[in-house]
Amino acid sequence: MQSYIKIITLITVYFSIFLPFIYLRSFTVNSKAFRIFTIYLFFIGIIQISSQIATKVLELESNIFISHYYFIGQFIFLSIFYYKILKHKFIWFVLILSLLCLTIQYIFTPNLYNVYNQVGMLFSHLIIIIYALLYLYKALSEKIEFTLLNIGVLIYFLSSSLIFSSGNLVFNVEIPLETTQLLINLNVVLYFVFQILIFVEWWKNYSVAKSNS
Amino acid sequence: MVEELFSSEIQFVNIILIAIGLLLLMSFAIVLFFYFSRKKIIKTQLEKAELEIEYQKELLQSTIVTQEEERKRIAQDLHDAISSKLNVVSLNANFLTEKEITPSEANKIGESIHKVTSTVLENSRRIAHDLLPPTLEKFGLQAAVEELCEEVEETKKFTLEYNIQYQDNFIASVNELHLFRILQELFSNTIKHSKATKISVSLITEENLLSLQYTDNGKGFDISEARNARGLGMSGIENRAILMNATCNIESSLGNGIKVKITSHTQT
Repeated sequence: MQSYIKIITLITVYFSIFLPFIYLRSFTVNSKAFRIFTIYLFFIGIIQISSQIATKVLELESNIFISHYYFIGQFIFLSIFYYKILKHKFIWFVLILSLLCLTIQYIFTPNLYNVYNQVGMLFSHLIIIIYALLYLYKALSEKIEFTLLNIGVLIYFLSSSLIFSSGNLVFNVEIPLETTQLLINLNVVLYFVFQILIFVEWWKNYSVAKSNS
Repeated sequence: MVEELFSSEIQFVNIILIAIGLLLLMSFAIVLFFYFSRKKIIKTQLEKAELEIEYQKELLQSTIVTQEEERKRIAQDLHDAISSKLNVVSLNANFLTEKEITPSEANKIGESIHKVTSTVLENSRRIAHDLLPPTLEKFGLQAAVEELCEEVEETKKFTLEYNIQYQDNFIASVNELHLFRILQELFSNTIKHSKATKISVSLITEENLLSLQYTDNGKGFDISEARNARGLGMSGIENRAILMNATCNIESSLGNGIKVKITSHTQT
């Protein structure tokens, strides 16, 4: 079982680097939302590479500090992405307000840098889930782009929000490593599903270059 | 071992795992819910659109049938009242060109030509009048309806009671024409089919309400059957009422004559 998980982990790492480039192929001919998503994928790729470097090359004890950049960056890019497709002005307002709250949180608890920011992660995930739901609702009445992508976001963010918020269990010495590993493995599998959906979205709708759009 | 299993930490992790499972299930449920809702919504939209197209088709069909009937009637009128008479004129005129014709004969033929052409003239005037009464355009709906009623009365087949109190320009002139046509159609139905002896018409405008009531004591008809017979008067009347944003209420049954009520509210 563990060996399968290792393979999937490896695949997700390579996929994270590979996906932004296939999206880049159709970058210029598509909408602004598509371009924002491509930039988001690049960002995820960079996060993956840096966390690999942190553990494998620099052999740092923990790469948890990267998680802060990961979730904040992800929140910003996906907020802009959903702003572009939902076209609700309040998304900007929510984004700025959330970033303000996060800044205050980090200023008052500098120690947070060494652990998972559970509250921040949970809230940023919840907001993205709400946007995904709003977009699904929009899909009821009109034909929309990024259907599969949106479903991927909904499934992955909804189920992984709990995994991330319980991330600090790793520091609890009383819980055996296998159980926390189980959570991490679950996340890997879910993330793999998300990546597959991102890939299928590209494969179905963007792999053939649109000449007349 | 047993203690370890039941230690609160392990249970805590278990709860988290179960919760993650539930969240996963929930997300699938949400996606499926939206997927099926979308399907259903699209289906109802499609059905609605089809129904609308069907209705439009029927409307078109009945319009075409009415148009064809009208053409047939005009052709018949032209043939009977003008062409055949002109034939006589042409024949007579031909006689006039013959050399061995006496002046008295020529006079007689000329007289006949004069007589026939006057009838032709009168007939062509009548046909034009039937197509679009000049009164409506020149003197308005009130005068046109009164004239129409007088014409019907002249047939002496019915006793006609009418009460026309129409305020000028109460409705747009295009709707006035619709209303006039409806009344014409009602009269022609009564004359052709109903064997009625009594007709009563009232056209009244008050404040922002216009109402046209028409009743006869003829043999009546089955409304659902009449609706199915497209291109006949009833659907034409209803369509015109729809076009002028009026409500049309037709009541009739076999043996009980017909009662038609058309009401229209003007925007204030």
